[in-house]
Amino acid sequence: MMSKELLLKHSAWMTETDSPVVISSRVRLARNLEDFPFPHVLNSEGAAQVEQKVSQVLLNIQIEGEQLEYISLTDLNNIEHQVLIEKHLISPSLGGSKGARGVALANDHRYAVMVNEEDHIRVQVLLPGNQLLETHRLATELDDALEAKLDFAYRESQGYLTACPTNVGTGLRASVMVHLPGLVMMKQVQQVLGALAQLGLAVRGLYGEGSQAFGHIFQVSNQITLGKSEEDILTHLEAVTGQIIEHELQARELLRRQIPMQLEDKVWRARGTLQNARIISSEDAMHLLSHDRLGTDMGLLPKIKDGFASLIVDTRPGCLQYILDRELNTSQRDVERAKMIRERTAL
Amino acid sequence: MLCQQCQQREAVVRLTIMENNQTRGVFLCKECAEKNQEVSFVFNPAIVPEFLQALFGFNPSSIEQPSEKTCPKCGISFSSITQAGKLGCSRCYETFETQLEPLLRRVHGGGQNVGKVPARLGGAIKSRMEQRKLKEKLQSLIQQEAFEEAAVVRDQIRQIEQAQGGVTHDE
Repeated sequence: MMSKELLLKHSAWMTETDSPVVISSRVRLARNLEDFPFPHVLNSEGAAQVEQKVSQVLLNIQIEGEQLEYISLTDLNNIEHQVLIEKHLISPSLGGSKGARGVALANDHRYAVMVNEEDHIRVQVLLPGNQLLETHRLATELDDALEAKLDFAYRESQGYLTACPTNVGTGLRASVMVHLPGLVMMKQVQQVLGALAQLGLAVRGLYGEGSQAFGHIFQVSNQITLGKSEEDILTHLEAVTGQIIEHELQARELLRRQIPMQLEDKVWRARGTLQNARIISSEDAMHLLSHDRLGTDMGLLPKIKDGFASLIVDTRPGCLQYILDRELNTSQRDVERAKMIRERTAL
Repeated sequence: MLCQQCQQREAVVRLTIMENNQTRGVFLCKECAEKNQEVSFVFNPAIVPEFLQALFGFNPSSIEQPSEKTCPKCGISFSSITQAGKLGCSRCYETFETQLEPLLRRVHGGGQNVGKVPARLGGAIKSRMEQRKLKEKLQSLIQQEAFEEAAVVRDQIRQIEQAQGGVTHDE
């Protein structure tokens, strides 16, 4: 398959589910080859050897009856790197770095294995909705298949050894992407999410490290990777996610009771703008789509045919240009974005 | 520096704002930063290396001491590790075990690895871990005075010890 065709495929994690708050679940496992220094001290020859070795193994794995495709990032242009970042399939730092590196993708992007990021291998599994355990099961299955062919760096006392000591042990980072417009509007989001740091969890905005919470979307993940089992980490995050869902739904009910007309006005205004505007910036789009999604979730608006996550991702600058297959400056993008949204929010 | 919004109070935080994939920083005082709830979960990636350096106890004057110990596998020194916030190779964990110990305790709370074990190393490590977990469980059951359950756990520990050929692996 051509990489363009593969990149444009619908990513499984963007599929709409019944979960009103949790958009997607992700599990990442950090692994390193025993015989090579970590990527940041590897010379270009060493990096090429790691890429060659790992990609060969990845290409020969059958996982859930499917074969992965390996894409070397040196073969892709900047817009294609951006598409992978916007779809959450690679990290911004992998896209922005140089040298032999890449990503192995499944057809529906549920598996995205990064090679030569901060660690030699980062197994990632992304699924829609609230299903951390299933996500972890798939990641473990892929990890087992890799481990049968590669010697991973491991010590009994410290577990899987990683370039950064914040990942050592299980190498597991589990996260959920949650949509919290109710808590933001009720000005409770800080109170609820602020408590998470004390529970060993981290909160970030939608677009990874260094981004803020556009579209009322937050990512919650575990911080501690050593001294806890995978099961404990996942159960803990699952329990906290349950609490976050409960708080968000309560906030939405409060909005409905306290300011019903303002709420209805807000979501209908968002729908009106999305269906009629001729110019929309990327941040405006996320904000309006968030209100629209709140409206459909609360039964105040009729459902649109396209999903929330795929609309947000497809209207990001990289994806937008890639789908339309041409380079666009900021103002051209704002016009094309508005057009795409009008088409996809039609009832 | 004064807050760039109210121009009155001292700025205490730097907000990173993303617009059209460009980032820019705004320095704000606590009050102005708190006024806008939606931008309060901002995380500046530029501080990560600094943060890690702080965790490692990085001290700029410690760089380039000629006699410093280096990792036999990758040749990196502990001061380069603290500077980069990253280790050089898997062997570094052994080479700098003593220096890393307080850092790992700060980040992870000081626990020993109880996670997945690679299949190729399998058996022995797994049973030692299982034993460790059961011993912890036994202690807490005894504290709770749940002696019947404790007896069951004690038997499980004995079984593992017997399977290991009667050798006990105490911590």
